[in-house]
Amino acid sequence: MAELVIHILNGISYGMILFLLASGLSFIIGVMGILNLTHGSLYMIGAYVGLTLAGMGGNFWLAALAGGVITAVIGLILERTFFRFLYKQINEQVLLTLGFVYIFSNLALWVWGPFPKIASAPTYLAHSIAIGSFSFPVYRFALIVIGLIIGAGMWWFQERTKIGAIVRAGMDDKEMTMGLGINYGIIASSTLCLGAFLGGLAGFLGAPILGAQSDMGFPILLLTLVVIVVGGEGSVEGALVGALLVGIIDAFGRAFFPDLAMFTVYAILIAFLLVKPSGLFGRR
Amino acid sequence: MQALKLEGLSKNFGGLEVLKDISFSLEVGEHAAVIGPNGAGKTTLFNVISGALSASSGKLEMFGRNITNASTHHRIQYGLGRSFQITRLFPDLTILDNILLALHGTKPSRYHMFHKVAAYDGIMEKAEQLLQPLDLWDLRGEKVKAISYGDQRKMEIIMSLASDPKLILLDEPTAGLAIDEVPSFISTVKALSGNTTVLLTSHDMDVVFGLAERVIVLYYGQFIAEGTPEEIQANPKVREIYLGIEESEGHAES
Amino acid sequence: MGGDRVMNTRPDKDAVKNGKAKKTGVVAGLILLGVLLVALPPFMNPYGESMITQILIFSVFAMGLNIVVGYTGLFSMGHAAFFGVAGYTAGIMMVHYGIESFWIIAPASIVLATLFAALFGIISLRVSGLYFLFVTLALGELLHSVAWKWRSMTGGADGLTGIPYPSLGLPFIMNATHFYYLVLIIFVVCVGLLYRIVKSPFGSALQGIREDEHRMRHLGYNTWMYKYLAFIIAGFFSGISGMLFASFANVMAPEHLGVHTATLAVLMIILGSDRVFFGPIIGAAIVLFLQYYASTFAPERWPLILGAVFVLSVMFLRGGISAHLIKLWNKMGSHHASTKT
Repeated sequence: MAELVIHILNGISYGMILFLLASGLSFIIGVMGILNLTHGSLYMIGAYVGLTLAGMGGNFWLAALAGGVITAVIGLILERTFFRFLYKQINEQVLLTLGFVYIFSNLALWVWGPFPKIASAPTYLAHSIAIGSFSFPVYRFALIVIGLIIGAGMWWFQERTKIGAIVRAGMDDKEMTMGLGINYGIIASSTLCLGAFLGGLAGFLGAPILGAQSDMGFPILLLTLVVIVVGGEGSVEGALVGALLVGIIDAFGRAFFPDLAMFTVYAILIAFLLVKPSGLFGRR
Repeated sequence: MQALKLEGLSKNFGGLEVLKDISFSLEVGEHAAVIGPNGAGKTTLFNVISGALSASSGKLEMFGRNITNASTHHRIQYGLGRSFQITRLFPDLTILDNILLALHGTKPSRYHMFHKVAAYDGIMEKAEQLLQPLDLWDLRGEKVKAISYGDQRKMEIIMSLASDPKLILLDEPTAGLAIDEVPSFISTVKALSGNTTVLLTSHDMDVVFGLAERVIVLYYGQFIAEGTPEEIQANPKVREIYLGIEESEGHAES
Repeated sequence: MGGDRVMNTRPDKDAVKNGKAKKTGVVAGLILLGVLLVALPPFMNPYGESMITQILIFSVFAMGLNIVVGYTGLFSMGHAAFFGVAGYTAGIMMVHYGIESFWIIAPASIVLATLFAALFGIISLRVSGLYFLFVTLALGELLHSVAWKWRSMTGGADGLTGIPYPSLGLPFIMNATHFYYLVLIIFVVCVGLLYRIVKSPFGSALQGIREDEHRMRHLGYNTWMYKYLAFIIAGFFSGISGMLFASFANVMAPEHLGVHTATLAVLMIILGSDRVFFGPIIGAAIVLFLQYYASTFAPERWPLILGAVFVLSVMFLRGGISAHLIKLWNKMGSHHASTKT
């Protein structure tokens, strides 16, 4: 019984990382129509940058924020310099962002070397508590709490604020929203920054349990995409439910079928595609 | 057997009812027009008939066959044709390629992988027959994105007629044509075989009066009236919809 | 009626003569190229021969994939999966089961690759646009994991090594030059098949779907079926090239099934031009040359260079190199014909 709880908690905490990534990416795709494959790279950069800053003796949470801010800035630069010329050109966006994935991961390899970096949680969170006969890292609880807080904040932003309404309207019909005289450009860029920030933040927050490695961008991106397919595009609740589902199923998969690892995730993806391609809470 | 029969056809988007309980039928060979102010649901009606949208409720029959749930391409195979209000052609392909696609569409040859697309008996002649009267045959090597808008509108119509459909839906066919080109369009449609059933929508009353034996009026998705063009013109409900204030001031204009 | 039509409707004689001259030029060029391809290699150094062999193999891959990407407009990032399936099948048959005959290995590996394409196509086509792309990516990565984990069959992360040339049943032992000719013959046959497909009503329909799928449905086309068939056809050609690659490279690794190889193929298409029939061949040559030079001078930085090439080609080489070359070619002709109104 305790073992079950451990797996579920593992799944939920892992899911929170995925949630941060997925909600960010989902909004970027939905709002800007940009398929941003570099999202995984931003996750990686957030992890490395945060680790470097924390390693220099900084406060854990400040380093997390810094990681997020830096990835937000990178995201903004990418958008202003490259993406804004490619609105609606999906193929070009894919190629471009794919190119950046290669560039970023090779640069990271150059700068930080090939060995994965292990991160440590802040000391006051670095211990474990006992659940049944198992011990469970407190840090993971912190992740769950953080994820829920951010999730609540985003949901409130999406459903209850005027800006959120504009963003949602823009997802449904960008031209119409622009026609209403709203300066969609600024909102779009801000959404991208927010999304990138979340991605980088996820990277650093996830580092204590997932580490940091130059080629981690792609696998995590794939997982994020599975979450978006399962949860549905453009909704915070979809990203949350999808992420938790994927996280928990992955945790159980690793525990009971360790040889099959990613297959449980792929199985979920294929199942959803065959049965409900628009996801649980999809807008379309 | 009627060419087209709608029974209680409705379409909602979420809570919005765009078409409410539409019923009418067209006899084989009939030329009819659907009119109504903007937002009346004319294009939605066409989309439901062609299968681009599925009906929320009701029944749709074409030449005696229940097509309510049939996919668009099947409806075309059964003899439907459709032109679009906003030109939908294949911009990066030549005029000839466009028309050949339209010609192959209803034939088994459309799946052939090893014949040259133009190397079929009679197909180039048919293409010339379709394009020449509108002065498009000589331009056949040009990409569609390079020709004038007016020429593209003409292509739009020809493409939908290429497969010799038995029932053709023309959505605002004269939009984008110059005034002096409208009469030749009208005679093109009149020249179609007597068995071809035509259903069109238009804001141009010359087209409606010139082509339609029967007019159906829609208003906010509801069926308001039907009759000959003259009957509709005189119909007080219709006048009220179109003329609004003038009518209530008591001026009856012919 | 047509005040908007300024161009003359009867082609002037100079343009016709030019058109004919250009056509003979192209044909002559192709014949020359063909002669070179047949006659040169025995005299080339092994590196050169190997490079051309590799270009031919990847050209088949890229041109096949272009049926889906360029002609139909579907961005599949997972066709390396079929390349890999065929390659591993061929390799496993030769290394683990000692089967030598090309006449058994080729059909088996190609058929298996095509079957996988048929299966993955159904799953992938449930969604469109971005999600289609994700799914093809994910399915490719799925096979990548399989190859990684199934050590006993595939050699796991170390790959399947020692894959020989298949035997054609001819009285001599196959060497690199013989293999080159085998590849050349298969290349020519594939190009011929692809050309027929592209010029056929089916090929035309694929382009129509790319341009406006909605309209195609309204012309009577079952567009899903076309997309599915295109997907499978691309899988078929991916399989052919994978089967050849296994013997060429001597080894099959999990990365041959995954995103890295898939994106390499896509880059070949984009660089060479997805709208020109021979485009992917040129793209393959460019990418493989780049890879060769990078591995000689800066092997650690090859992904960086690759990424930069992606970015630059998207931002500046829209339409691919071949498209630009063709524009130049057309411009050369028009210097002779003056515009008469």
